[in-house]
Amino acid sequence: MKNYFRISIACSAILFLVLPFVMACGSRAAQENPQAAAPPDLNGVWSAPFTPDISKTLGHQPPFTTYGAGRFAKEDEIDDPLTKCLPIGPARGIQAGIMPFQIVQTPSVFTILFENQHTFRIIHTDGRTHPKDLDATWFGDSIGKWDGDTLVVDTVGLDDRTWLDTAGHEHSDQLHLVERFQKVDNSAIKWTVTFEDPKYFTEPWSITLPITRQNTEIMSYSCEENEKDRVHLRRAKK
Amino acid sequence: MRTMSSIALGLAFSLLSVAAPAVAHHGFSVEFDKDNPLTLTGTVTKMEFMNPHIYFYVDVKGKDGKVVNWAFEGGPPNVIYRQGWRKDTLKPGDVVTVKGFRAKDGTHLGACSTVKLPDGREISAGSGGVSQNAYGSAAAPDGKK
Repeated sequence: MKNYFRISIACSAILFLVLPFVMACGSRAAQENPQAAAPPDLNGVWSAPFTPDISKTLGHQPPFTTYGAGRFAKEDEIDDPLTKCLPIGPARGIQAGIMPFQIVQTPSVFTILFENQHTFRIIHTDGRTHPKDLDATWFGDSIGKWDGDTLVVDTVGLDDRTWLDTAGHEHSDQLHLVERFQKVDNSAIKWTVTFEDPKYFTEPWSITLPITRQNTEIMSYSCEENEKDRVHLRRAKK
Repeated sequence: MRTMSSIALGLAFSLLSVAAPAVAHHGFSVEFDKDNPLTLTGTVTKMEFMNPHIYFYVDVKGKDGKVVNWAFEGGPPNVIYRQGWRKDTLKPGDVVTVKGFRAKDGTHLGACSTVKLPDGREISAGSGGVSQNAYGSAAAPDGKK
């Protein structure tokens, strides 16, 4: 009985001495590791301004490689994949103007539902990495990590048939997108997207656009339901 | 109820503003000529409030007395719905005046910038501004970048 008493006193003493350190380490970890804090809530319907020419936002043409410059010089809006009702792609979908998108956010996944053609992005926020063997897809493979008030998204595995804008800025399947969705307040997100593509650009380059909350619901949109323009299209350039 | 919706629409349209550019499934300059504006008056024969662009058809009597049926394209219905349009904003039988730009291929097709309704209100149809294209085509007027 005496032994049990001594042991319990000893254990209580150890606990009494150790516990404050454990609690201090825990709270310091929470302060130093922003991911431990709850991420901001970005649920809702949003839109960025329609940006038909991203070089206007950048202020100059992106740093093209010789190949990229040659492709851009030949490109004509008649070749826009949207003209064929093909998917808009992950970044262009954001700056689709009056066609908004809806963010549906859970702890493990951040989804962006585009009104344009009922397409969507799934950004995994469960800590996974990109798969090793990726087939190129229209919206790529996206993984996201919260950094305080900012969701940092990394996307690879992009099909080269999408355009970055209406002007005809193209990319290859080597495109690597890094986006930062930073919550500014309840009505605003600051969106920065970095384009890295060694086939088209000599170095990565970035643009920033405001995403604002929209007082609307996502509506139906079918590009094909009454498409009548294709037969009338003519090359804009000579 | 009808009066209320009319008032609501009236308020929505009271600001005659060029529609902000929206994503279109094609650029303006690949189909329409901004240097070839048109203004036509006639009777609506058909209204298609459908994606990707609204289309409406107007019987226009020429100076020779012959009636030609013109097709006009507007913005996506989602976009103009948010600006106050409804599927019956234009109805067969309505006499309207359409301002816009001719199609480059020479057919009886135009991009509609604004349409003047039977009650006198002139509303934006979401395609091409009065003076410049509102698709936001990135191509410069001469097609060069």
